[in-house]
Amino acid sequence: MAALMSLEDSVFISHSPQGCVGCAIMAVDMYRVGQAHRGIKNIKNPRLIVTNLDQKSVVFGGEKKLKEAVNKAVTRYNPKLCFVYASCASGIIGDDIDAICGELQKEYPDTLIIPIHCEGFKSKICASGFDATFIAINKYILKNEKVEKEEGLVNLFAPTTVSYADQKEMERMLSLLGAKANYIPFYSSLEKIKKIPAAVASTSICKVFADEFMNTLWEDYGIPYSHTVMPIGIRNTDKWYRGIAKVLGKEKEVEEIISREHERIEPLVKSIRNRLQGKRVFICGGTGRSFAAAALIDDFGMELVGLETPTYDADAQIDIEYLNGIHKDFVVDIANMQPFEQVNLVNRLKPDTFIGVPDWAAKLGVPTTHVLDGKRPTMGYDGLLFLGNKIADQLENPGFNKKLAKHVKLPYKDSWYNENPFKYITEGGK
Amino acid sequence: MSEIMENPKGGCVLAGINSVLSAIHRTCPVYHSGPGCCMQTTAADQGQSGHKHSCFVSGVSIPSSNMLEKEVVFGGVNKLRTTIQGAVDIIDADAYFVLTGCTAGIIGDDIVSVTNEFKTKGVPVYAIETPGFAGDSSLGYEAIWNTFIDQVIEPSEEKDDKLVNIFGIVPYHDPFWSGTLEEIDRILSKLGLKVNTFFTKKQGIETIKNSSKAALNIIINPWLFKGPAKKFENKFNVPSIRFPGLFIGATDTSEFVREVGKALNLDSELVEKVIREEEEYVYNYLAQAIGVVSWKRFAVVADANNAVAFTRYLANDYSFTPVLVIISEPIYRQEDKERIIKRIENLEYANPPKILFLSDQYEINEAIRNEEKEITLLVGSSNDREVALEKDIQFINGAFPVNERLIFNRTYAGYKGSLTFTEDIYDNL
Repeated sequence: MAALMSLEDSVFISHSPQGCVGCAIMAVDMYRVGQAHRGIKNIKNPRLIVTNLDQKSVVFGGEKKLKEAVNKAVTRYNPKLCFVYASCASGIIGDDIDAICGELQKEYPDTLIIPIHCEGFKSKICASGFDATFIAINKYILKNEKVEKEEGLVNLFAPTTVSYADQKEMERMLSLLGAKANYIPFYSSLEKIKKIPAAVASTSICKVFADEFMNTLWEDYGIPYSHTVMPIGIRNTDKWYRGIAKVLGKEKEVEEIISREHERIEPLVKSIRNRLQGKRVFICGGTGRSFAAAALIDDFGMELVGLETPTYDADAQIDIEYLNGIHKDFVVDIANMQPFEQVNLVNRLKPDTFIGVPDWAAKLGVPTTHVLDGKRPTMGYDGLLFLGNKIADQLENPGFNKKLAKHVKLPYKDSWYNENPFKYITEGGK
Repeated sequence: MSEIMENPKGGCVLAGINSVLSAIHRTCPVYHSGPGCCMQTTAADQGQSGHKHSCFVSGVSIPSSNMLEKEVVFGGVNKLRTTIQGAVDIIDADAYFVLTGCTAGIIGDDIVSVTNEFKTKGVPVYAIETPGFAGDSSLGYEAIWNTFIDQVIEPSEEKDDKLVNIFGIVPYHDPFWSGTLEEIDRILSKLGLKVNTFFTKKQGIETIKNSSKAALNIIINPWLFKGPAKKFENKFNVPSIRFPGLFIGATDTSEFVREVGKALNLDSELVEKVIREEEEYVYNYLAQAIGVVSWKRFAVVADANNAVAFTRYLANDYSFTPVLVIISEPIYRQEDKERIIKRIENLEYANPPKILFLSDQYEINEAIRNEEKEITLLVGSSNDREVALEKDIQFINGAFPVNERLIFNRTYAGYKGSLTFTEDIYDNL
């Protein structure tokens, strides 16, 4: 839902009970704020319709409700795209959304009706939903049709949490290489999605966003791609930049730009480094951001003591190996937040600062900085300065968290802080 | 019963239950559900309620059995058992409540037998068997109170004639709930009453257990809490009065104070003294900014409770002209609709507005778009801002959901709240 929310001319149908669209709230807010940042005066709501499966549907099936919802979508908005999302309930009661959408497609030929298989019980990881989205886009929109190539067009895939400031920075960097970004899927449209195969290359801002899709694009359309890291911090931004430049055959040009950018920002980074050198950090974030942030702190000479990240795979291991090369000794917690593990670790490790969702560490009195800020800059060379100053300022002025910790107690028993933080990780998830 | 809905305002039963539990001091919900439900339900109510959320547990910090495909096929009671045990081991709560997600509800996991295992060991773990798909947040509010009445509240022969219970203000589903309860508490305390708001003053599970000692249940809502009120009276012999809508400003708040005074047989001199003091306080301020807020023809889009309050204050106390009132929460009983209509139409001087019951955002937008009479002020939710921007109507984000402002203890209700509301209506354009 979050991945597609800002598409033009689209209606989103959640084939679920009412509560399941709760997950869209953050994306709805980002969409509204994103419009404001883009200078739009008449800010719109996303067109999100819930079929509202209830006790009756659970017994008799929800087909009728889904058909009615699609009918409403078409009558109201005559959209180019209509996405239909599955839910736990629709999945278990066995509503065949593919067949229903197929039937509806014949009835409404002017709207592309696209089912997406995102039954909640399929995965604990929301990035699985990104994959499901791109599988559906490939199957129902691109359909292996060949289109004419457009010189210099690069698919730039970006997750929900990328701010407009970051989008502009990424587009600026690509334009320095003579490339034009096809920014997908945020604030894009059916036309821009259809242009995906016209691109000469693809890259993504997040490691776990569109990574499989970029590979599919290589297999189906022969579009080369760069899958590197999230461009946060000098090292990662360089790596990301070189990655896409190599695919575009601009290795020489990118080195010139990079050295120019370094020359511009290094004195500024140095002044931040003077403030942060040797400080011990605990990081918690999504897969892309947590590893990127861990690399970023090296720019400032900080020491990593703990890292909490939601997924682990071969790709993550590459990052861990890299971090092993820089930092002496740090704990890795593969956990989708799991605040109880986090507070145990933070309390044990006593970092000088915490980077990530601040809700819990703040109540322990540790200075915190939020990295998942989808409304302000984080990425590229300029984002680095914003983030660095933010970390340093918040570290040097920790009064709020210190006073908060004196007044507020976390919900955990004192005994928990003496337990092994990984006590509840059992074999086979028992 | 449920309807297809565009941009629904609020979540499912679980969201309503979670909102209530989150507002009760040291109470821990435990989800027996799919992996997204903790965040979904917290986001659906708390996440759209002025950016304030429970400091104890909320969203990803709520214990959940995270049912995946394996549990869908083989059942999830074992995973539920270890999840509850883990919660009890590390979370320092006074009571734990197990919520049933759609998945657990559909596959039919026996939750009660698991919670009973804990209860026999003396651990306060309660089961709530209403699954997510049974309804919306409002039903959740009633479902959790039914659970309290059935399983938690202890019978008591003795009544405290000064103790009252407040119902009808749903935490988080009403973004101004804490400020509103604080204002109600402040006013009733001046009458010498002890007030169970349940969600402020760190009131916890003990307050709920002892709520049967109250002399009166006061429902501040035109329709919610019908079933639980009856059940409460039958089981614990506590009568209830219903004030048919939240109150903003001197007129309705004073009416409320008099109703409570009458129901409890309070000294009428004291009641009138309190009313006099409070009204003087309000008018002392109103008198200092006469004609500053320009005259408006207004529309309201809100839940019934707040729609009543906004409309009656603006029309009766502030002499604005009511044009259109849209009740944006699903209400199914005809008697409830009639009570709401009566309360909104029964204005002192103003002509009654057009009243519509619409929960679908498209229909709400169309009703405002196609309204023939001019509207110059819209009080509504974040979802209703789009049509206000489109029609260039002054907009106050005063109803759920509220995404564009941070709300701690602000309220528009009561005497003091009416001044805050009036401040917010002001624009210098």
